[in-house]
Amino acid sequence: MSAPLILAVPAKGRLQENAEAFFARSGLSLIKPRGARDYRGAIAGLDGVEVAYLSATEITMQLAAGTVHLGVTGEDLVREQIPDADNSVVLIEALGFGFANVVVAVPQAWIDVRTMADIDDVATAFRHHHDRKMRVATKYINLTRDFFAAQGIIDYRIVESSGATEGAPAAGTAEMIVDITTTGSTLAANGLKVVDDGTILRSQANLVAARSASWGPSQRETARVILDRVAAQARARNYREVRARFAACDTKLVDSAIDKFGVVTPFGGPTSSGMRTLHCPPAQVYALTSFLRENGAEAVAVAELGYVFSRDNPLYAKLEAGL
Amino acid sequence: MGASVTATTAGPDQRAEALVTSYERAGYARVAPAILQAAEPFLDLSGEDIRKRMYLTTAPDGGEFCLRPDLTIPVSRDYLASPAAGRPAGFCYLGPVFRHRVDGAAEFLQAGIESFGRPDKAAADAEMLSLGLEATAGYGLGQPDIRTGDVALFAGLIAGLELPAAWKRRLIKDFNRKTNLVQDLDRLVLGGNNARPEYQGVLAALAGSDPKGAHALVTDLLSIAGINAVGGRSVAEIAERFLEQSALGASAKLPREVRGLVERFLAIQGDPDEATAELRALASETNMTPTLAPALDLFESRTGFLAARGIDLNRVKFSTSFGRGFDYYTGFVFELTDPARTGDPLVAGGRYDGLLARLGATESIAAVGFAVWIERLAAYGGTS
Repeated sequence: MSAPLILAVPAKGRLQENAEAFFARSGLSLIKPRGARDYRGAIAGLDGVEVAYLSATEITMQLAAGTVHLGVTGEDLVREQIPDADNSVVLIEALGFGFANVVVAVPQAWIDVRTMADIDDVATAFRHHHDRKMRVATKYINLTRDFFAAQGIIDYRIVESSGATEGAPAAGTAEMIVDITTTGSTLAANGLKVVDDGTILRSQANLVAARSASWGPSQRETARVILDRVAAQARARNYREVRARFAACDTKLVDSAIDKFGVVTPFGGPTSSGMRTLHCPPAQVYALTSFLRENGAEAVAVAELGYVFSRDNPLYAKLEAGL
Repeated sequence: MGASVTATTAGPDQRAEALVTSYERAGYARVAPAILQAAEPFLDLSGEDIRKRMYLTTAPDGGEFCLRPDLTIPVSRDYLASPAAGRPAGFCYLGPVFRHRVDGAAEFLQAGIESFGRPDKAAADAEMLSLGLEATAGYGLGQPDIRTGDVALFAGLIAGLELPAAWKRRLIKDFNRKTNLVQDLDRLVLGGNNARPEYQGVLAALAGSDPKGAHALVTDLLSIAGINAVGGRSVAEIAERFLEQSALGASAKLPREVRGLVERFLAIQGDPDEATAELRALASETNMTPTLAPALDLFESRTGFLAARGIDLNRVKFSTSFGRGFDYYTGFVFELTDPARTGDPLVAGGRYDGLLARLGATESIAAVGFAVWIERLAAYGGTS
């Protein structure tokens, strides 16, 4: 009986809710057989998996160390906490929640500052005026250093902040900040604004695999099953099913639809009765239906998809390539 | 240390000891500062790229300490705390320093010299280079490549130029930051608000204003927009920057005449005598002799002392653009490297007259020195 595959999931908050919903939509319900307060769980109907509930930071560290196989965590934490992240982990799939940007923010009062080039100039001038370097409060020390270095800015000093970074300029512990933001309202509430070209990273929650975990045959098989279902759900989310049947709906028209709207034909040609099934990206659906109706369709049916399973398993292929 | 020892009878320890003993005989007192140092002076003086390679630790009471990443600052701080502070004094050292490196041991040996308070700067500069050459000679490298620069020359040039303050600031910063500023001169663009349509009104209104008027305008703008907290920058600083931009005019690029002059200056290189001739010619042709004279006179005097010490001036490769990349150097800078290999210096140093004030000295104290990378020398050096 070999060791289970360990899947690390956020222990609380919106991230936990979203992660559980994501897995549930993929047909993988996270359950806690030993009680709701337990920090260990399982996946209903799938053996060989242990679910570990941890903080997002812990998940990131354990992925780097290889003590968990898969985990849900933000790309911002991966890039910040794991040196040379792509050598330690594989970002398998962006999960479509937990959106946040890591940004450079300065006081709104700095009306002469719009871009990072302004920051560069201000930093040098600040040093001359105050005889010390401008302070940047952040918990994203590595991301900040790399970004500022790429911009050629050297006249600054990082002040480590463990929380409430947006309050640092008002409190006088720093002149500006690098912090994570979603709507920007917290920044505005603290009298701060985002620098125009100061977005360091657009982050969201990712399903991440640890390269250095022990990936034996049974763990790989378990991962293959999980990723098959996740892929099926992701594929379904990315398309709507569009069906129509009319005389002018020939190969040429379908090829044109593929070109214009990014449509795919999962079942190849039409059925014997001439019914065509197309999978279309949600944003293009209206345009596609107009196109079909203009070319003769009387009716076009559009439906959401639950799952789309295919022979190949691109997510598992991505994992395997990284191991 | 793990460095492979080349075919000599003396191991790296003995040669390093012999070197420092000869420095002592030359009048430099041997010192051994603490390995564990307060982190703040290093953090304050170094950029974040150095900081990320430092070994930092926190004491139980919250004080931040580090394993010293270099010896210049520890020796300087000990000197400032001693009764000799402010008086001429010279020190030599041999000991480990600690820096996280991708390739190479984190703990490695450095030897070196710090010379404080000597009023005869040209002579002191020359002595540093001469003593640095002793290090390479002691490890069997008789003819290292000698690269020298003089940051004071560039600073003098910039100070003497008719140029908006923002450009001066930018050129000095890029001199320290870029390996080859002259390549980028035509691409240098002082961005900012001149190019932005929404600022044209403000900048036009400020044209010809004085600081007081600009201050009043910015104060009003902030107040009208309902913006309160100003953070660490004062209204005066913001106003000053608007004034600078207003004065910059329409073009975002370095004014053509200035660019030509700076390019010509940065192209000057060769042995010290050739360079002096070209610099004097440039100074007189552009009426910059008054501003460049002090640095040029010192440069010539230093060349004289180098020759007096028996250094073959044909081997000294001077370049106006050689800067070593640290903003605390104020004058002479040099590096000794193995001609057979490119890259990391074996011996490097220069003059940093502003360092001690930044470490807390109440008045400016002359300071010049250099460091020797012992393991590199042991690995590179041939047989004597």
